Amino acid sequence: MFTDKIELKDFDKMDPEYKDLLGHVLTIQADCEIGGPHLYVETMLPAAPTKLDQLIVARTAAEEIDHFRKVARVAGDIGVDVSFVLSQPNEKRFVDAFRGSITTWEDNSVFGFLIDRIGRYQLEEFYDCSYLPLQRILPDIVTEELGHIEYGYNKTLELIQSGDEGKARAQKAVDYWYVRALDMFGRADSKKSERYRHWGLKRRTNQQAREDYMNEVGPILTQMGLKVPDPNKGRRYM
Amino acid sequence: MPQAVANLDKMDEHLKTIVQALYGAVKQGIPHVKEPPIVDKAIADCKEILDEVMAGNVKEWLN
Repeated sequence: MFTDKIELKDFDKMDPEYKDLLGHVLTIQADCEIGGPHLYVETMLPAAPTKLDQLIVARTAAEEIDHFRKVARVAGDIGVDVSFVLSQPNEKRFVDAFRGSITTWEDNSVFGFLIDRIGRYQLEEFYDCSYLPLQRILPDIVTEELGHIEYGYNKTLELIQSGDEGKARAQKAVDYWYVRALDMFGRADSKKSERYRHWGLKRRTNQQAREDYMNEVGPILTQMGLKVPDPNKGRRYM
Repeated sequence: MPQAVANLDKMDEHLKTIVQALYGAVKQGIPHVKEPPIVDKAIADCKEILDEVMAGNVKEWLN
C-alpha cells in the first residue's frame, strides 16, 4: 500500500498507473460536477416553485461550476484536459445518473438529497489521499455539497408534509434515484477500485462506501415517513 | 514539473468570472424576492449567464 504524499512537483516521478488513475478519477469528478447543472438548469431554473427557489437553483449551479473549475485546475496542472466535459451531451456522461434530464421539482429535490450526498461520499474518498493538491480543494467543495444535500432534504420534506399526493411524488422520486445512487459506487468486485486504494487515492472499497451510504440514508428515509426502496431492484452495477 | 494544459489559466479565470457574476446576480435577487421587477431581473441575469456555461463553447471563451 502506497502511503507517501505527493505534490505537483513529484508527479512526473510517479508510476504510470498512478498517473492514469489520478487523471481518470479527476476527469470523472469534473464530469459529475458539471453534469449536475446540465441536468436541471434548463428545466428547473424557470420551473422552481418560488422566486427564492429559482435563485437557489442558480446558486447551486454556480457552486457546481466552481467545483468543476477547481477540479479542472488540479487535472490541468498534471496535463489532463477535462474541458471537453463542458460541452459533452448528457447521454455521454461517465455516470448513469447524469444522463437525461430532471423535469420535476420532486426529482430536483430528491436529486439534491440523495445524489449530492453521493458527491459528498465520493469527495470523502479523497480525504487524506496521496495527492495533496486534490486534498486541498476538498473542504470548501464538501461544505457546499452539504448545503445542497440539506436543501434537497428540506424540499423533499416540504413535499411529504404537503399531503398524500406530495408524499407519493416524493416516494416515486426516491424510488427512481435511490437505485441510481447505489449504482454510482460501482461494482463490488471492481479491480480498479482496489488499485485506487493501493495508491492511496481512495479509502474505502466500492461496497464499503455503498453500505455506509445505505446505513446513513435508510434511517433518514424512514424518519421522513418514506419507504426504503429495495436496494437490489433495478440495479445495473452490483 | 508536468506540462500543464494549454489555456488552463484562461479557462480558470473565465470560469471564476462566470461564478462571481452568478453569485452577484443571486445576491441581488435574494433580498428582493417579493419585488418582481428586481427579482425577475436577477433571475434573468442568472439565466443569461448559465445559458453561456451550458452551451459550453470553450473555444469561444478562450479566444
